[in-house]
Amino acid sequence: MLDRFVLGAQIAGQPLALLMMLFGVAWGIVGGALPGISGSIAMALLLPLTFGMDPAVALMMLAGVYIGAMYGGSITAILIRTPGTPGAAATVIDGYELHRRGLSGKALGVSLVTGTVGGLASVVILVAFAVPLSRVALAFGPPEYFALGVFGLALISSFVGRDLLKGAISALLGLIVATAGTDPFSGTPRFVFGGTDLLTGVEVAAGMIGLFAVSEIFYQVAEGGAWETIRGKFTTALPTWVELVRLRVAMLVGIVMGTIEGLLPGGGGAIAAFIAYNETKRWSKHPEEFGRGSLEGVAAPETANNVVTGTALIPLLTFGIPGSNSAAIMLAAMMLHGIAPGPQLFERSPQLVYGLFVGLVIANLMMLGLGLLALRPAIAVVNVRPPLLFAAILALVLIGAYSISNRMFEVWVVLLMGLVGYGMRRFGFNVLAMVLGLVLGFLVEVNLRRSLLISLGNPWVFFTRPISLVLLVFALITLLWPIVRRARDDHAVRRAAAAA
Amino acid sequence: MRRADLFIGLGLLAFAGAYYRASFDIAMGFASDRLGPTFFPRLLAAALAACALGLVARAARDRSDPGPLPPVRTGTLVLVVGLTVGYGLALRPLGYPVATALFLAAVIRALGHRDLRTLAGVAVGVTAVLYLVFARALHVLVPMGPLGGR
Repeated sequence: MLDRFVLGAQIAGQPLALLMMLFGVAWGIVGGALPGISGSIAMALLLPLTFGMDPAVALMMLAGVYIGAMYGGSITAILIRTPGTPGAAATVIDGYELHRRGLSGKALGVSLVTGTVGGLASVVILVAFAVPLSRVALAFGPPEYFALGVFGLALISSFVGRDLLKGAISALLGLIVATAGTDPFSGTPRFVFGGTDLLTGVEVAAGMIGLFAVSEIFYQVAEGGAWETIRGKFTTALPTWVELVRLRVAMLVGIVMGTIEGLLPGGGGAIAAFIAYNETKRWSKHPEEFGRGSLEGVAAPETANNVVTGTALIPLLTFGIPGSNSAAIMLAAMMLHGIAPGPQLFERSPQLVYGLFVGLVIANLMMLGLGLLALRPAIAVVNVRPPLLFAAILALVLIGAYSISNRMFEVWVVLLMGLVGYGMRRFGFNVLAMVLGLVLGFLVEVNLRRSLLISLGNPWVFFTRPISLVLLVFALITLLWPIVRRARDDHAVRRAAAAA
Repeated sequence: MRRADLFIGLGLLAFAGAYYRASFDIAMGFASDRLGPTFFPRLLAAALAACALGLVARAARDRSDPGPLPPVRTGTLVLVVGLTVGYGLALRPLGYPVATALFLAAVIRALGHRDLRTLAGVAVGVTAVLYLVFARALHVLVPMGPLGGR
């Protein structure tokens, strides 16, 4: 295995790869600092740029964006009490209090260093889980892949909130969009409406740019409030060794919680950060400082949300199932290059997987350096007036969409998906569920039909193979567990109300 | 009754019907498997119709008041979407540099920014940067319109 890491280091150490990672991290810090532009949106905006790149470099750059965005999100969380990314929401509590006490630089420094520690730990966890899991997944055939696709769709239940019906509709819409194009078995055109533009189907990258980025711009234009500007000059003050030793419990809790939440379906940086914050408060020797400007209160969530940057990639790399927005963007980048993620990837393209592992380490170290330098540029971009920023992002998105295939069709797809995504947000549907449907549609349909072809039409093939059966049972549990939990919570609330 | 959900549900039901109907236009082909290219789309159409009916039934049954939706700057949104459509239509005849600069200026103005110097500077500057990145560095064949060449 060591030779594969050497290969990965050779790929990640190329000057172009380093340059693109540096750009990715810087873009991530700036994008993450902008309220409303989450890490995944910052990644989606760069998707078209990856088209002409080596796929390994493209993935490293996108991973760099995600890592950078985690720190960027904490800048506005600390300085203007507005988390730039959902993952930085818990950082607001103590980060902003530290800022009010004149300790902004120290809060930013703790966020940067503990985030880097979390990011580096996540790479170790990623390698420890992904490599063995990929070996298990090598035994998968069409029924197992179908079951895996169903499991991926069942994840929707865990992140759509209370409205599972709208989540299911969102996923079905994504699956329906994915059926347009050429039938994978017979080569027959489907839903192309007599034209040639749709013969290759709806480009997943264009769909994601529209659903994630353009819908956010439309949302900000239609419903967004005024942005606060950051006043004053700030410099990052790195924590001392003594302070870091005092923060060890917070970092450890952050690593554990980030790992658990990153691995769980629908878990994400925001949930991991809040749980880590609460648990650290419980374990802390000074719980009374929490909420009044505790460095531990910044360290725990920042470690946790950076751990998720690596652990969220485990289901994607091993099974080809994206469990979060950012993993879905990584999947889109792979699909743009005709790469199918999953266990075969470790054998067929070790340079890509191991290059990404090494790249993640380098990108985390770059974040530490750039975090010190990029503070002022990030603040300057946050202070850019929204009309200028939104117009520039729209122009970037549109040329980016055009560049996917050098034609106008993707521009219209991006615009249409932007409008659909905005409507979905407004009326309580789930954009990520639609994206999951879009990316998993092909996997589910092809392996369903392939399985039934092998079994001569006998649907029991999905239940007689142990891995497939286990995955389908997991899918059922994943689908039903949030419903059971909510029903139980509602029942408890009703009983409490009745007792009162 | 949640009126928005009721209308969305009915719209989705109509869409599921239209999608199911469109599946009959798919030719079966010679090399197809037993299920054929229409099986999965019809399965999805049926599932969507069932979910849409569920949404309609839920909306009709729900007597609670969901409260008003957040206010929307409809005029600004329609203007920005309209400008984006116009940009798409103007890209080939005007060429990328001219269309993009005009689009940027128009969107910035539509969003309420009035300082003409900033507006012009951002329109020209962003267009130049995007042109250099996409057309020169990434070799995207952007339409140049009357400016000709690439």
